Amino acid sequence: MNTISPEIICAVATPEGTSALSVIRVSGKGSFDLLEKIMSLEKNRLTGMRRKVGRIIEEDRTVDEVVAVSWPEGRSFTGEEMVEIICHGIPRSIREIIEILIKNGARRAEQGEFARRAFGNGRMNAVQIIALAALWDMESGQKVFNGETEDSCRKLLSGIESTRETVEGIIEFGETHLEGNEESIRSVFGELIQRAKDFNKEAASIEKSSRVMIMGPVNSGKSTLFNMLTGKGRALVSSEPGTTRDGSTCFMELSGRRVQICDTAGTDGLGLDRSASEAVIDGLDGTERVIWMSTGGKTPPADEVRERAGEIIEIAAKSDLVDKNGTEEILSVSSVSGEGIEELKIVLSRVPGSMSLSGTARRILDSIKESYRFVSAHEYDLAAEILGDTEIEARRIIGSGENIQLSVERALSGMCVGK
Amino acid sequence: MIKEWDVIVVGGGHAGIEAALAATRIGCRVVLISAKISRIGEMSCNPAIGGIAKGTIVREIDALDGSMARSADATTLHFRMLNRRKGPAVWGPRVQSDAAEYARIQQLYIGNKGIDVIEDEVTGLDGVTEMVTGVRCRKIGTIRGKTVVLAAGTFLRGRLFRGDELWKGGRIGDISADSLERDLAERMFHVERFKTGTPARIVRSTVNTAELEVQQSEGTDFTFSFDERRPSTKEEVCYITYTDKNTMNIAKDFLHLSPLMAGRIEGTGPRYCPSYEDKVVKFPDRERHKIFVEPMGYCSRDFYLNGLSTSLPREAQISMVRSLPGFRRAEISDYGYAVEYSYFDFSEIDDTLRLRRTENVFAAGQICGTSGYEEAAGLGLIAGANAGRFAKNLELLKLSRMNSYIGVMIDDIVSKGADEPYRMFSSRAENRLHLRQDNADRRLYKSGDRFGILSQEKRELLHSSLKEADTIGNILDSETVDGTRISKWCRRPGISVEDVVARSHSLIDRDKRVLASVLLDEKYRGYIERNLRRHESSRNLENISLRRIGSYMEIDEICWEAREVLERDRPDTMARAEKIPGIRPTDLHGLLIYLGRQGST
Repeated sequence: MNTISPEIICAVATPEGTSALSVIRVSGKGSFDLLEKIMSLEKNRLTGMRRKVGRIIEEDRTVDEVVAVSWPEGRSFTGEEMVEIICHGIPRSIREIIEILIKNGARRAEQGEFARRAFGNGRMNAVQIIALAALWDMESGQKVFNGETEDSCRKLLSGIESTRETVEGIIEFGETHLEGNEESIRSVFGELIQRAKDFNKEAASIEKSSRVMIMGPVNSGKSTLFNMLTGKGRALVSSEPGTTRDGSTCFMELSGRRVQICDTAGTDGLGLDRSASEAVIDGLDGTERVIWMSTGGKTPPADEVRERAGEIIEIAAKSDLVDKNGTEEILSVSSVSGEGIEELKIVLSRVPGSMSLSGTARRILDSIKESYRFVSAHEYDLAAEILGDTEIEARRIIGSGENIQLSVERALSGMCVGK
Repeated sequence: MIKEWDVIVVGGGHAGIEAALAATRIGCRVVLISAKISRIGEMSCNPAIGGIAKGTIVREIDALDGSMARSADATTLHFRMLNRRKGPAVWGPRVQSDAAEYARIQQLYIGNKGIDVIEDEVTGLDGVTEMVTGVRCRKIGTIRGKTVVLAAGTFLRGRLFRGDELWKGGRIGDISADSLERDLAERMFHVERFKTGTPARIVRSTVNTAELEVQQSEGTDFTFSFDERRPSTKEEVCYITYTDKNTMNIAKDFLHLSPLMAGRIEGTGPRYCPSYEDKVVKFPDRERHKIFVEPMGYCSRDFYLNGLSTSLPREAQISMVRSLPGFRRAEISDYGYAVEYSYFDFSEIDDTLRLRRTENVFAAGQICGTSGYEEAAGLGLIAGANAGRFAKNLELLKLSRMNSYIGVMIDDIVSKGADEPYRMFSSRAENRLHLRQDNADRRLYKSGDRFGILSQEKRELLHSSLKEADTIGNILDSETVDGTRISKWCRRPGISVEDVVARSHSLIDRDKRVLASVLLDEKYRGYIERNLRRHESSRNLENISLRRIGSYMEIDEICWEAREVLERDRPDTMARAEKIPGIRPTDLHGLLIYLGRQGST
């Protein structure tokens, strides 16, 4: 039996269209041999980390003059043997190179397959992938992932560990040798809760791009729409524990993407409570989508919203009550008849999907608070039990537990081919 | 004299006694060999039984029909439920016992059950290591037996230290089993050294107890044994005193004479029961350490100084003791000392407590690397039961770590080993909310029955508890309070047994101890079920063998680093592979895929 090796995958890693240069990525065991073959490199073999200039030749015809950069197994992005072909950015020759690669044993990569292999080979952890996905989602691109989220998760984890040690210490030695620790537990938990909050912020900041705010004037049907989209009993609502809706926020899965829907009903968009609605608008940082609702599409989005929102989806609500005005950009939706809801979901599913990282972060914070409540109620046994679970949860974010694997799949599905 | 016994037990401490009794309950002819039979069952260190997790072990021993709980109950002078304000899953019953009475009662059990007792020194195993034929003794020669349980405690090449004094011995006034240790070494058993110690005993009449804090007993209602018999009506109080700067300075002045610091003791001591000089070195800023003053027996001559274990020279010990409030004129009756001894490396012992390289030699107690009476007794019971089962040609059995502290302890010591004497902690049990002192009878009934170590009386008693719990469970499930089933309603915070009884007339005549225990089952049910599921999923990995794998370096499904680590460690099973640092779930998935492919070609 031949030794089984994962297939060689290839894809263009740069945007479509004509450009000066383009990069084609090739990954998998045997990539070096493949490149040597199509570049006729017998003498100047690709080994280890090398850079070779050469021609890709097909039936004695030079397709392109390229630079091949090779990374050995264990040191590349994917962790596998990998080659990046820097070629000219001419769509025709790029296509041809890909075809040649495929003819010689490679296959086209699927969405996010390079990153998936990097994850599978332990080159990237879940936080990094999620952050990468979020980074790619961001059109502005000003936010650079620098491992901060991972650091704050590690800090949180070590905080959970030491708090648990303190609690266990009180259980095992509290009666004999560790008096006084029961007083200090308050400050220990205080510090831990702060770390969990920090991590929440970090997690939320890399997930922000997936948020959709429902806004609009009073009585335009925002809450009805929110309930309609996220309503109980619908398969749309995530059944994952901890990602519970707190009344105004809900995670939905749309076409495999994860989208956070926020209802601003509580603050009434631009309604009566001016200070509250200002807070909502201040919260928009140019990356978020806003569903702007008004009855029959008659109230245009407020200027502040236009300035600060990333993208606005205008909706004519209560379409069962008003005449259709025929404007194509405005989607007509009736929360009563259900008209337009499916169309809206399709629109929403184009929103870059994101991860459950912030859901996990929130769950960790809640668990820590619950553990502290048990400590206050003198139920150290349960406090320790919950901290133990929380520790596993935090570990899973940094490592690659099975739950995270699912989340990573979601993040990867939002990436384009070649990443 | 009998030509061949079923089980030979070497050692008459807490482990040896339970081993001998358990094998007897299985129906074996048992001989117990002790170097000094008058000291069988002695409490070599503090006169107390139980504590957090340890107290639960004692109740487990009782559920398996051992003698420790009953002997402790019969000699209880003082009782406290530790952790009463930390949650019922971590309550730890602890009693002060009359040490001399305790040993006397344990000896009575041995005698009553028809166990033969021989006073001699065992100098070695007899026959080939793979299948021994008995043991060799110094005076009476060879004793033949189908199985041997080694429970030699601290006697294997025991060395006693105090300042620059050094003796051979497993305990003060006893011999050291040097010949037995040599025989084991010659048979190529891997042994290591540990150390432990004991504090000075103080003449009670020389202590001014008026200067001490009194620690009252919580009364004598509690019994370790589920028999709930309470023959002891005697009570004592305990006292608390504290060390101060003077105590610390004296210890510091003599530190250079400590056998430990001078490097004469190489064995590792128990981190959680350290000597006073250890504390001084490790916590130089802490002058004040709590010292519990415990009577050795009812109206006994001596006090035990719990927390002041030391092997410093005599003059240091007397000065340290006299620096304590209430002890200005104290006299020491027995000085503290340290003992260094040999124990089996964990790789020698399997999960039935049999020595791996033998068919019929078992080990229990401190020679397995543990510390504590309760731990020793728990191991002794299982080693004795399995030795008995082997002698009777029955399958050897083990306890699950999800169902008992004894199971946790055995699993820990045979799979991980210990770099210090192993003491049981509640936090070692992942299913701690289930391993409570209140339900040990119900948890272990099935195991005890399978082992065949329950007397008729015990079986009936435990079975009736189980039936009672069933009845109560049915009532809780069928009756409601305000439309909610009681089994669910009782989980609300602050609901007491009395509250539940007040809401259901059917519960009025039920056993309140069992009812309280069943209510705790309900309280923790969700957590326990989740723990069991988690354990189950890791057990699936346990069933996947990796032994067929030739070279990990050729497995392309897993990353390079993982290949190297796996090649180095070569784990037996998927579960072991999972525990290796650096192995990620994706590597395990890769391994599964690889194994799947291998299987299909």
